[in-house]
Amino acid sequence: MKMVKNLKTNIKYLQKTLDSEDVTFLEVKIKNTDAVLIFINDLVNKDAIGELVLRPAFNYDKPITAQNLFDAFFSPEKKQVFSLKDVVNEVLLGNAILLADGVDSALSFGLKQFEKRSITEPPTSTVIKGPREGFVESLPVNISLMRRKLKTQDLRFENVTIGRYSKTPVALCYITSIADKKLVKAIKEKLKSIDIDAVLDSSYISKLLGEHKISLFKQIGNTEKPDILAAKILEGRIAIFVDGSPIALTVPYLLIEDFQSASDYYNSPYSATVARVLRLFSVLIALFLPALFVAAELFHLQLIPLSFLLTIVNSIKGIPLSPSYEMFLTLLIFEILNEASVRMPKYVGMVVSIVGGLVLGETAVNAGIISAPTLMIIALSGICLYTVPELEQTFAVLRALFLIIGGSSGLYGLICSITLLIIYLISFENFSTPLCAPFSPLIIKDMKDGIYKGFIEEHQMRPLSIKNTNKRRLKIKKTGVDNEI
Amino acid sequence: MKFELRTRQVCLFLIAFIPINKMFILPSVLAKISNADMWISCLISLSLDLLTIALVTFTCRQSKTDFFNLVENTFGKVGSKLILSVFFVYFMLKAIIPINEQKEYVELTLYTLKPSIFYFLPFFPVVFYLCIKPLRVIGRASDVLWICTLIGYFVLLFLSVTNADFSAILPVGVNGANKIVSASFKGFNWFGDGAYLLFFIGEFCYKKHDGIKIVASYLLSALIILSFMIIFYCIFTSIAHRQRFAFTEISKYTTVINNLGRFDYIGIVLLIFSNTFSISLPLYFACRILNRIFNVKKKWITALCVVGVQALILLTLNRFYLTIENLAKGGFAIFFFIVGNVLPAFSPLLTLKKEKNYENA
Repeated sequence: MKMVKNLKTNIKYLQKTLDSEDVTFLEVKIKNTDAVLIFINDLVNKDAIGELVLRPAFNYDKPITAQNLFDAFFSPEKKQVFSLKDVVNEVLLGNAILLADGVDSALSFGLKQFEKRSITEPPTSTVIKGPREGFVESLPVNISLMRRKLKTQDLRFENVTIGRYSKTPVALCYITSIADKKLVKAIKEKLKSIDIDAVLDSSYISKLLGEHKISLFKQIGNTEKPDILAAKILEGRIAIFVDGSPIALTVPYLLIEDFQSASDYYNSPYSATVARVLRLFSVLIALFLPALFVAAELFHLQLIPLSFLLTIVNSIKGIPLSPSYEMFLTLLIFEILNEASVRMPKYVGMVVSIVGGLVLGETAVNAGIISAPTLMIIALSGICLYTVPELEQTFAVLRALFLIIGGSSGLYGLICSITLLIIYLISFENFSTPLCAPFSPLIIKDMKDGIYKGFIEEHQMRPLSIKNTNKRRLKIKKTGVDNEI
Repeated sequence: MKFELRTRQVCLFLIAFIPINKMFILPSVLAKISNADMWISCLISLSLDLLTIALVTFTCRQSKTDFFNLVENTFGKVGSKLILSVFFVYFMLKAIIPINEQKEYVELTLYTLKPSIFYFLPFFPVVFYLCIKPLRVIGRASDVLWICTLIGYFVLLFLSVTNADFSAILPVGVNGANKIVSASFKGFNWFGDGAYLLFFIGEFCYKKHDGIKIVASYLLSALIILSFMIIFYCIFTSIAHRQRFAFTEISKYTTVINNLGRFDYIGIVLLIFSNTFSISLPLYFACRILNRIFNVKKKWITALCVVGVQALILLTLNRFYLTIENLAKGGFAIFFFIVGNVLPAFSPLLTLKKEKNYENA
């Protein structure tokens, strides 16, 4: 709906539309002409309104026209708005709007101010060495964090508003000289096609952006750290920020990303490689050890060395439950404790851990309800799962599935289910990027940042797993200084 | 043109999936007929396969389109359907023995405490799932599983080679040409790998020297098979034919196993992974053929039919397995040789006819 020159008509419509007590319609006079300043009480900086809007308004002495008004105010974020619908949107975004009688447009001042969390180290990705800052819930702050990391004119932010009711600002971030333009276009189109009531967190976008409706593994990467995001963008990925969420999304996503840690890039390549091997090994233990143990106990005793077998036989003597039920029960208790300790307040959570882990576990073993090896295996599996926290939930589901299969059909059932998982993983693609690259399809040049972490000099080219338009990222110039020394 | 595979994947395919299904009961089958000369019988079959693969690779070089279009271009729609039907029957029959081998292995070796066919049934959902996937999944599986095959092979080699008495295969050729050739003939069901490569024609971008790479990969695969056969016979000598599942038996005399439990199961399990894929391949290609013959868009329908028929064969003819095995080694062997070796060897002739506009095909 277009604005008209009659202020009363405009205000009548706006008062009807923005009929809420927190919306202020402040009547002011600009050179004896009626004007109204509209804003939401708790979203704007009132000092800035006084300085940047009201003071210039009182001192205004030119004829009232749209252009004169625009020129008279010095607010760094100001723009003209021509429709009443846009006026409403601007107010809801937290901007202050000035309407004057006799002018068929309005001025919008970006004077948003609301409480925001300070920049802290994200709890999900702490590092010993390296930057500790993390994203916050404010989109402008997150954008500023990225701008501080990558001071290039090629860094682009494109804004989209998503959510019928939330009208959440979403920003697409990429480097024009690196990112694949087709991918940028595809993501932009996909974002624009989202029609949802509200986007309360980036996980909403993450779920809607994935190409597969049902997926065991995540399809979109995420990070809470600007340094990680900058590194990903420099590889050709595209980031998506959602206002109100401290987690930035990255597209395309590779499974190996979650086995990589920020600290891998700040420590020596040797320790990073060892850490990655450990993570992979831990995941294998976490996923398969409970199922293999149950399968071996029930079907394949020949797999277990004799001395170990005797220990197991002694420990399971008198246990009333079958090995698979026993393992499943222990896993269930572990998951309940896990869920409770995450949800409970910090200090109560610690008590739950102590009571659950030590008291409950030891008592259950002493009472002869579960055996010590079972408890040990579940505890080990539980710890190992957290070496790759990003995939913890997916792996927890898979672990339970493998346990059921191992307990019901033994080793061959497990082999078949793992084969099924392999087929699923290697055939999985999102935005034309295979999830398991660089292992399948095998991209040998990208293996330098796979399980093996190469020296920085080895990363001269950008990864081939991710489509990009600029291949080289490092040039080593020979200075001849070494020879002189 | 977008290719489904890469040359590297074709090479790794040959290393990952070709040697493994020859490590189950084939060594005992060959040892029963040609004893110490079993490796020569194997060498003959491998040489025939090598020739076929070299010729199919030549076709890959010449052709600008896939196998289905090549056949249709040469023989017309009806003719191509007939030829594809022959290949379909070939793959369906070729799958029976390896699937039964694996079933028998699972029942008798992995589940010694409670042997039952039930434990083998999870195999069929896996094949079904594979059959509905595009060809690039086979390439990607090769990228992952070649390492399983090689590690599995080297673990078994490491554990068994010290027990081998290599003088057991000497003197060479003592059993006579008749037995050697006869053993080779009876083993055709386990060979004929050139037929798989037909389905890779036009699916990868053939570049200079790719033919050498593919043939070299097959040679590596043949080396793995031959060395396995020789070590197997040199460990068990005259009782080799009684060792039904060669790759489980080959390491059983190792002292490491006594100390650490069945340490060799690490290798065995890795090989079973590769074998699960390997024995699914005939059914996978059978599905592709069926999709083409009937122009089926919903792949799950053909996958369900092919896997269902194979499961039905396994469940109903399970009791007559030895008869089926004897048929495969006897009268059907010639069929396996013709379709698995001879027909693919003639594939370069398909490219003689001027190719039509394949982009529209």
